[in-house]
Amino acid sequence: MLAKRDPRTQSEGVVAGYAQTAQRWPSQPLQARPLTPSELTGPQQLARRLAPVRGDLAGYGEKRAIGQLIRLRARIVDEDGVPVSGAVVEVWHCNAAGKYIHPNDTNDAPVDPNFYGAARMVAGDSGLIELRTIKPAAYPVPDTAGWWRPPHIHFSVWGRVWLSRLVTQMFFPGEPLNESDAILNAIRDPEARRRCIAQLALTAKGPQDALVYEYQIVVRGRGASPSLR
Amino acid sequence: MTRLVPTGEMTLGPFFPREFAAGANDLAAGVQQGEVIEITGRVTQLDGKALDNLVIEIWQPDSQGRFDNPGFFGWGRAATDANGVYRFRTIKPGGYEKRAPHINFLLLYSGLMRQLQTVMFFEAAADPVLDAVPASLRHRLVAKREGTVYRFDIRLRGEGETPFFDD
Repeated sequence: MLAKRDPRTQSEGVVAGYAQTAQRWPSQPLQARPLTPSELTGPQQLARRLAPVRGDLAGYGEKRAIGQLIRLRARIVDEDGVPVSGAVVEVWHCNAAGKYIHPNDTNDAPVDPNFYGAARMVAGDSGLIELRTIKPAAYPVPDTAGWWRPPHIHFSVWGRVWLSRLVTQMFFPGEPLNESDAILNAIRDPEARRRCIAQLALTAKGPQDALVYEYQIVVRGRGASPSLR
Repeated sequence: MTRLVPTGEMTLGPFFPREFAAGANDLAAGVQQGEVIEITGRVTQLDGKALDNLVIEIWQPDSQGRFDNPGFFGWGRAATDANGVYRFRTIKPGGYEKRAPHINFLLLYSGLMRQLQTVMFFEAAADPVLDAVPASLRHRLVAKREGTVYRFDIRLRGEGETPFFDD
């Protein structure tokens, strides 16, 4: 069985400084429900339906995206620490000027013709994905009182069952804007927040051309059982 | 064994790549067995505004109520358009055990700090999940049939608010 979400380590509801939450989070309490096979199964071999696209967003030579080159090593595990091999992982982030490829991004920042900020990968047997990309920039959130998002990378991850689905954001260490971000700080537990921040690996050990960041994502669920049915 | 704490969910944000949401809303393509149906609806917020680029994922059994049918994938994803409208083409699911036919919905969007879970039913039948909702609200989880199209509008907050689940 899945444990209930812990409100200290999970965010929800209406968040101060993030006006859209007051338009969109339900006003009524969420309903408890019994868990049945319907919630405790999930798509198997999702990678067949959602095939990998672009494991490298940085490019090379004349096609190299502008920005600090990074290699992101993220490990997907369950609550027992067991790697979720075969997990589909989608990431997206803005360019080194703070601009997304999405047409709805109205920020007045330049597009980088060599940067397309979306990738889909499949975790290997050790639950690892590696992404070569550039470090995203901070950017201002329109129509707010000076809210700037710290540099972050969006993650969309599938665990083993329907209720393991996880969408989150990964932050970078040492960023002053981390301290005031309405989204990161909606997680009340300081340790849980810290785990949303990647760690910079020792530069002497890594590849010489890029900074290496390491990150771990824990999806809901225990043990290697693919489903409870 | 030490139990790890699941990573905190965070909002999808407004810039989920359109290519990820595209092309995954037809669950019926190539499926041999079952009744092909369309599910559509409009998603709105407190002030009634329709929501653009909101992501909906669904999970359902096949026409016989099975989740392990290699000929039916059972999962799909769609994004709302500028009018707040989403569409799926799928197979009408079968019931199983105590569950009436239903489709699980998961919503992701900017301003939603985490996923919202709800369930679409085809009729107000006895079902342990539908029965967990107050009787006066159950009709909001039952789609309206228009031929082979089932209409399931979703109100995130405010009048006619859709019931959502906590789990």
